[in-house]
Amino acid sequence: MSLFSGTISTLENALNYSSAKQKVISQNIANVDTPNYKAKDVSFKAALDQAVGQSIPTNRSDNRHYVFTKSLDPSISIMNKKSVSYNENGNSVDIDQEMSDLAKNQIYYNALTERISGKFSTLQNVIRGGK
Amino acid sequence: MNPISFTPAASTNMLKASQSAVTPAQAQKSFSSFLKDSIEKVNQAQVESDKLTEKLALGQNVDLHQVMIASQKASITMQMTLEIRNKAVEAYQEMMRMQV
Amino acid sequence: MSIFHSMNTTASALTAQRLRMDVVSSNMANADTTRAKLVNGEWEPYRRKSVVMQAKEDQFSSYLQTALNTSSQGAGNGVKVSKIVEDETPFQLVYDPTHPDANEEGYVQKPNVDPLKEMVDLMSATRSYEANVTVLNASKNMLMKALEIGK
Repeated sequence: MSLFSGTISTLENALNYSSAKQKVISQNIANVDTPNYKAKDVSFKAALDQAVGQSIPTNRSDNRHYVFTKSLDPSISIMNKKSVSYNENGNSVDIDQEMSDLAKNQIYYNALTERISGKFSTLQNVIRGGK
Repeated sequence: MNPISFTPAASTNMLKASQSAVTPAQAQKSFSSFLKDSIEKVNQAQVESDKLTEKLALGQNVDLHQVMIASQKASITMQMTLEIRNKAVEAYQEMMRMQV
Repeated sequence: MSIFHSMNTTASALTAQRLRMDVVSSNMANADTTRAKLVNGEWEPYRRKSVVMQAKEDQFSSYLQTALNTSSQGAGNGVKVSKIVEDETPFQLVYDPTHPDANEEGYVQKPNVDPLKEMVDLMSATRSYEANVTVLNASKNMLMKALEIGK
């Protein structure tokens, strides 16, 4: 029996992703005029893992075959954003997209913190027994 | 007209209630099933709220107000069941304190 | 379709309007350019460019979403600039025999850019941009208010 499994760990990972995205967005906005700067983005591999079913164990017919396990630590990687338009100085930052991403990320982060603190306070309430 | 016609109806209802009094065994059974039912409801509400929160965290097809409303419903249901449990335990302790 | 669907749509509109404004500024900057492109060894003046906007509706992703029942009855996915086309109206002919690009009769081919039309286009793009910013702010406020349910 573990106290903090399932939803709380999903929320934790999502908060990690959101704070990494905030850093990337501020980096992109700061470099809106830098020549040859390509806009960056955050990829969230663990979200896919959890969304595609918890554990689908793979059957290995030979010990030398590769083991496919659910990745235990969600890897957040920062790569270049796939964009099709560049400025004439090689810059690929779309300021409107970045600003709306900023607003979206803000709301996402607020929603996640609100939910996770709600869950924690429910746990505390139950432990205290409603007193 | 309505307030005048209400009073006789209310009094006949009260008479009916006192005439069909429940036995203590029946009261116990109905209360225990009520408690089990409410615990079941709490679990359902929590599971529903968890599901919607996961969908929100993974960016799937859900509305933000749905998530907030489900979480509030779960929290309120949990609070209410806690209070009922506390009151029931308090009532039991009160009963045990009675000197025979 | 996540909770940010409307904000994604609005962001696509902002990008499209900004691109339209960029095209207008390019037209205005080149309103007098007589040597824009080398065609068959001859210099051709600048041709006015304009954008073609298309709704992002009949793309594979929207069909996939409807099939998976994750889209809400086709609320649409925003707008994109599908292509930038050149205006095919003929060039203006201005009589100026002393110009280096004058032909044998002394006429210079000037770009088919009408500054008045460009200014009106620019104003329209600005107003659309402002309207979309208002929509974005409204969506954001609604979502922030939704976070306060139960507080």
